[in-house]
Amino acid sequence: MNSNYYKLLLLGGAVRLYFSQTSLAPLIGNRVEFATPLNSFKRLQEGVFLLQQGVDPYRGDLVHESPLLLKALSGILINYAQVLPLLYILLDLCTATLLYLLGITFVKQKLQQQKGECEDYAKDTEELQYNDEDKSHIAELVLLAYLFNPLTIMSCIGLTSTVLSNLLLALILYSMVKRQLLICTVLLAFETVRNLYPFVLIAPLILLFARRSVPMGIAIFMIFVTSCFAVAGANFLVMNSWNYLDGTLGFIFFFRDLQPNIGLFWYFFTEMFEHFRTMFLITFQLNATVLYLVPLSLKLRKEPLLLATVLIALMAVFRAYPSLGDVGFYLALLPLWRRCWKFMAHGFVVFTFFLITLSMMGAFWHLWIYAGSANANFYFGATLAFSTGQIFLITDLLFAHVKREFCLYNGQKIMINGEEARILLE
Amino acid sequence: MGLLSDPSISTHNKLVDSLAKHMRKLCYVFYTAGVAWFMCLALPEFNHGTYLSENALSPGLVYPEIRIDANRLALQLLEELQRERKDHQSTTPHAWIMAKFNEFGLETYTHNFTLRYPFGGGKEFHGKNVYGILRAPRIGSTEGLVFSAPYRPPSSVHDEITASVPVLLAFADFARRKNYWAKDLVFLVTEQEQLGMQAWLEAYHDGYKNYHSSSSYLVAGSLPARAGSLQAALNIEVQDLEVDYVDVKVEGLNGKLPNLDMFNLVQRIMAREGVTSGYKHAPRKRRRMNLSPYEQNLRQMLAMLATQATGVPNGNHGLFHRYRIDALTLSAAKRVTNSNVKSNPSSATVPLLKSIEGISRSLNNLLERFHQSFFFYVIVHNDRYISIGDYMPALVALIACSFVKAYLSWSTLDAAERHAQQDAAGNETDPVVFYTKLSLPYGFVLVYLVVTLVIGYMGNVLPLQKYLMELSIGAGPLTLTMLIALNVAGIALPFYVVLPPGGLELLHICMLLVYGCALIVIGLLNFSLGFLVAVLSVPMVVALNPSSTNGALRGLARLWALLLNPMVVIYTVVLVLTFYEFPELTFQQLLLRAVTAVMDAVTFALIDSVIYGNWLYFAACTVFFPLWIICWTLALAKQSDNEISQAKLKTN
Repeated sequence: MNSNYYKLLLLGGAVRLYFSQTSLAPLIGNRVEFATPLNSFKRLQEGVFLLQQGVDPYRGDLVHESPLLLKALSGILINYAQVLPLLYILLDLCTATLLYLLGITFVKQKLQQQKGECEDYAKDTEELQYNDEDKSHIAELVLLAYLFNPLTIMSCIGLTSTVLSNLLLALILYSMVKRQLLICTVLLAFETVRNLYPFVLIAPLILLFARRSVPMGIAIFMIFVTSCFAVAGANFLVMNSWNYLDGTLGFIFFFRDLQPNIGLFWYFFTEMFEHFRTMFLITFQLNATVLYLVPLSLKLRKEPLLLATVLIALMAVFRAYPSLGDVGFYLALLPLWRRCWKFMAHGFVVFTFFLITLSMMGAFWHLWIYAGSANANFYFGATLAFSTGQIFLITDLLFAHVKREFCLYNGQKIMINGEEARILLE
Repeated sequence: MGLLSDPSISTHNKLVDSLAKHMRKLCYVFYTAGVAWFMCLALPEFNHGTYLSENALSPGLVYPEIRIDANRLALQLLEELQRERKDHQSTTPHAWIMAKFNEFGLETYTHNFTLRYPFGGGKEFHGKNVYGILRAPRIGSTEGLVFSAPYRPPSSVHDEITASVPVLLAFADFARRKNYWAKDLVFLVTEQEQLGMQAWLEAYHDGYKNYHSSSSYLVAGSLPARAGSLQAALNIEVQDLEVDYVDVKVEGLNGKLPNLDMFNLVQRIMAREGVTSGYKHAPRKRRRMNLSPYEQNLRQMLAMLATQATGVPNGNHGLFHRYRIDALTLSAAKRVTNSNVKSNPSSATVPLLKSIEGISRSLNNLLERFHQSFFFYVIVHNDRYISIGDYMPALVALIACSFVKAYLSWSTLDAAERHAQQDAAGNETDPVVFYTKLSLPYGFVLVYLVVTLVIGYMGNVLPLQKYLMELSIGAGPLTLTMLIALNVAGIALPFYVVLPPGGLELLHICMLLVYGCALIVIGLLNFSLGFLVAVLSVPMVVALNPSSTNGALRGLARLWALLLNPMVVIYTVVLVLTFYEFPELTFQQLLLRAVTAVMDAVTFALIDSVIYGNWLYFAACTVFFPLWIICWTLALAKQSDNEISQAKLKTN
């Protein structure tokens, strides 16, 4: 916690505060790229209103926020509606702080781990190893990446509940590196009941805490399941009905709202014949959750935090209602892998991809919805390209990690018959 | 899977290195390919023949029913209107038009609007439109078609189009007797050119929305009656009842076009009725120029690009596009008297009236809005077009230059550093401090970008400030002074700011990316504008190289950048136009005249942007001008760091 941290935090807060006062804020709150049916502030307001009128908000098809949060926010929204933007900004700053602390702790642990292993490292690999400077440097980069990423800023001023999801995810990650099993599991259960997809994070959790003991792993899993039920029960107590389960988890799983977003679901499900729906629903949801879980967990069993990062990133790409706020969150985690960057070849390409597709999305949306001259295909093309860019980034990160691991032990310059060596997948 | 899983350990790619050596050549290859592709599109092998995509439009192609009595009515109405015009030198004979509407049995209403002209202390202008609704006998008023005719008083500076109103009225009289209308027909006579149309459309769709806000300049008021959701509109400008040819105008606000089906429909029906018509149709004399078909096609395409790029609608139809109503203008030109074709005045308008009947019957049969055919196209010839899929590659190839250059520059940033390190290592002297990608001055460059953006944005905001508008200078001098002041600020900026080491390279890459994205977005919204800007500016952007040491090349880049300054470009365009318009002026007079013309041009652009929502002015101020400032900075390349590092290298 040095002065730089406070300066950045203040500046980040000021930027958010400034933009939340401009006319940009309501505009962002209505953009499909940021506000999905799941996280939009409008729907939250609707839910609060319905609650106030004594109507079960989950009987309709508008409100998809979990009951506990809905109740909590309704208190604030009814009594102190003006301070709500301020609250969201504060929560976002909390997320940034947590990520900053996560960065510091992570590098400390890496340094310790390196001490044990450094004898096995090859000679010219200093630039691949974490060093003392990284402790502040990486954490600052994480802070910068979270606070000044336009995606997170926009999603904060648009008052999307992605801000809350990001805070919870940051808490989960932070308690993970701090080895707080119980807090971590309970928070994960809470976020799972809200958003369904985060349940995949149980894999890095088990890998981290169970340490190859199967009974321990089962125990953690049982704790997780129990806390899921407990959270669900608490939600039930708040609402006094089970309707909310279908309104939140069911809504996500069955993908009922076809409103366009930056994901891959909506276009396929509008085009599809109705009788194939079930099959594709299951396929898409498997793709978003468990498809990559097992292979990645096997490969990254020694790096639970990298596994968590990759899983969060994949979630942001493949989930049913993704928003740019999710993308902004996992982008902020990338500086943790600063020492892999040397091997990341596509960084610039991916950045350009993001820039082009995001600006194209705005143009296509205008042409489709307002001018009426373009159509859904144009917009979907842009979102598809955006998703491709993200996949590039994730694969790049994974490969960079593999190459770094290899080079750490084998040195960076390997010559075979006078030519540079190449790593082959076999 | 080589793309995703590059198997080599180092990210350093030899292909990229060798490409980077020929970066400029590569970019010019892309540029030439793009331009050549566009030129090729004029060849008949590269464009397609038009066809009617929407089957529902066919009924209009059957036997027309309008007879010679409609022509007689039009003649008689024109005579009456000419008499009325003697008493209404600068106003519209509303009473006469309303009386006629009533006489024909239409629901007749008037619509008042007010323009609060903000400059020079503020003035108010009032206007009044007249419209009549023919309710559809077959269905409730859920959908409507608009037939509009602008009215110009005798004092107007534009071409006289008095005959439009009689033609409209004659058609209204015919339409009222028919029982097959499934959509309400709205007959609208507007005044004050596009202002009246804009006010009517705003009032039709927004009602009292802007009435109380003092910030809006056009107070559209509200309409006493409406006719459901408008599906299509036809604007009629007739110079005389004896029609020589019909020019079909399609370009709308911000370069939006009506569906190609609508244009095809008009062309087909006109052809059937034997009316000479076409896109950008010129008088007979000029049509006889012996140009090869290829050259004609290319001229047609370029003419369309030029009209579309301004974003200013070339007829009242253009304002409909904003509300997703497909519309075009039939602009019928007067027959010159010495023409060798003699016609009978008592039946001269019948073909035109028959065409209007055919078009209206086709539109009447539409089941949904136009959606089948293209919205993005370039018309090559009256019956040939280029679709978006065919012309986009040209623009993409041009824009690709900037991204390719950005990628290669970024990759070689690293390489330069590596070579330098190798040199340093080889010489075994003190290590020279070189910048790596992470330590580039990102913050500084970002601030610089924001500063240029703010300077540009000021051009958008400053002339509209209350305290400035209340001064008693006119809009023209005010806007021009502001823009020149900002321009001077932009030109001076690079002289005062010294970028930190590595800043120029980073700024260069940022500029390329922003430039590319801006062109993509502009090209998507208004292809013509994007393409023309790209054709003009890409070579300069490619030639820019802040780290080059070739003096001649840098001088050239500087000159080029200076020539592409938005103000210089506007001045040049206006100067050329003035030269063609008034060839008799001496050079000095020409230069002076062009200055006043530029003043008018920027003022009209500003007014267009605040009243009609034309974004050309906004784009020029907020996108092109900041980009130009950055280009200018790079062209000047006040580069202390490079000299220093080079000096260091030399001493090494």
